[in-house]
Amino acid sequence: MAGLKTIILLSFILAIGFLLVILSSALFHNFLPLLVVATYVLAPVPNWICGRAQSNDDFMDGGSSSIVELGRFLTGFLVVMGVALPVVLAHTEQIRYEAMAMSIVGGLLIYTTIISFTLFFREQEEF
Amino acid sequence: MSSDRLFRFPKPQWLNSANSRTAGVYLAGGLFSLSFFLLIDAASFSKSLKNASDFHMNFVDWIPGIFSALGMLVINSIDKTRLSGDTFAYSGDGVAWKARVVLFMGFAAMAGGLAGSVTVMVLKYVVPEAGFPTLWMGVANVMANALVMISSAVLWVSQNMEDDYTYNLAL
Repeated sequence: MAGLKTIILLSFILAIGFLLVILSSALFHNFLPLLVVATYVLAPVPNWICGRAQSNDDFMDGGSSSIVELGRFLTGFLVVMGVALPVVLAHTEQIRYEAMAMSIVGGLLIYTTIISFTLFFREQEEF
Repeated sequence: MSSDRLFRFPKPQWLNSANSRTAGVYLAGGLFSLSFFLLIDAASFSKSLKNASDFHMNFVDWIPGIFSALGMLVINSIDKTRLSGDTFAYSGDGVAWKARVVLFMGFAAMAGGLAGSVTVMVLKYVVPEAGFPTLWMGVANVMANALVMISSAVLWVSQNMEDDYTYNLAL
């Protein structure tokens, strides 16, 4: 069964991501990098909300209404914010550059997991 | 459709797919976020310990960014189908003309933002001969406004793809 292996792999990646982010905070006794997790957890939320607002019954208009594009715009904003926030914090010496690198990598792993889970479950819903 | 085209070269075919439109919208959001955080970075650099000079960001540095964001909002809140109003019979009473005026004001606000950021950089940081770590506040301002402009252009192009895509689908 391929689905079980996928879930195990994704949870493994999620755990590594959280490990990296928490280490980047706890190693230097500075818990500002935890903001990255909040950003990446919030990142798919505009897409979900605006996807609900879309009228699904119109086939011709599929995926092209402006409210959906607003949601995509905000999601893109939040994804880049997850990378830009540690860079800004490191540039102004609020956190160290090692913590910046670890939190960026960990945050990207967490976000990849969230996106993969969404795709995975959407694919199962259709059948 | 192909006879009354304005430009000599056709658009590349990959621009007409739905996926590239979605990617364009995501890219526009990312570019806008990048420009926003460049401004935030300059402001927090101005307050941080690394800024040993007498130069600080105040409200003057924020005005071009505000104008650029306002122009982007105006441009992208216009319905693009209203611009070609002369082909539609129902859009009388100069709707296309009004849309073009509002669009012009949006573009003027955005170009004014970019020009204003260059002005702020030159008058505030280059003319008093600020060195590089201080000059970053001006450079980041110009980069942020240019990125707002690029993001707006990407969003414009990817919203105009929509028409061709739905047209192809309707056929």
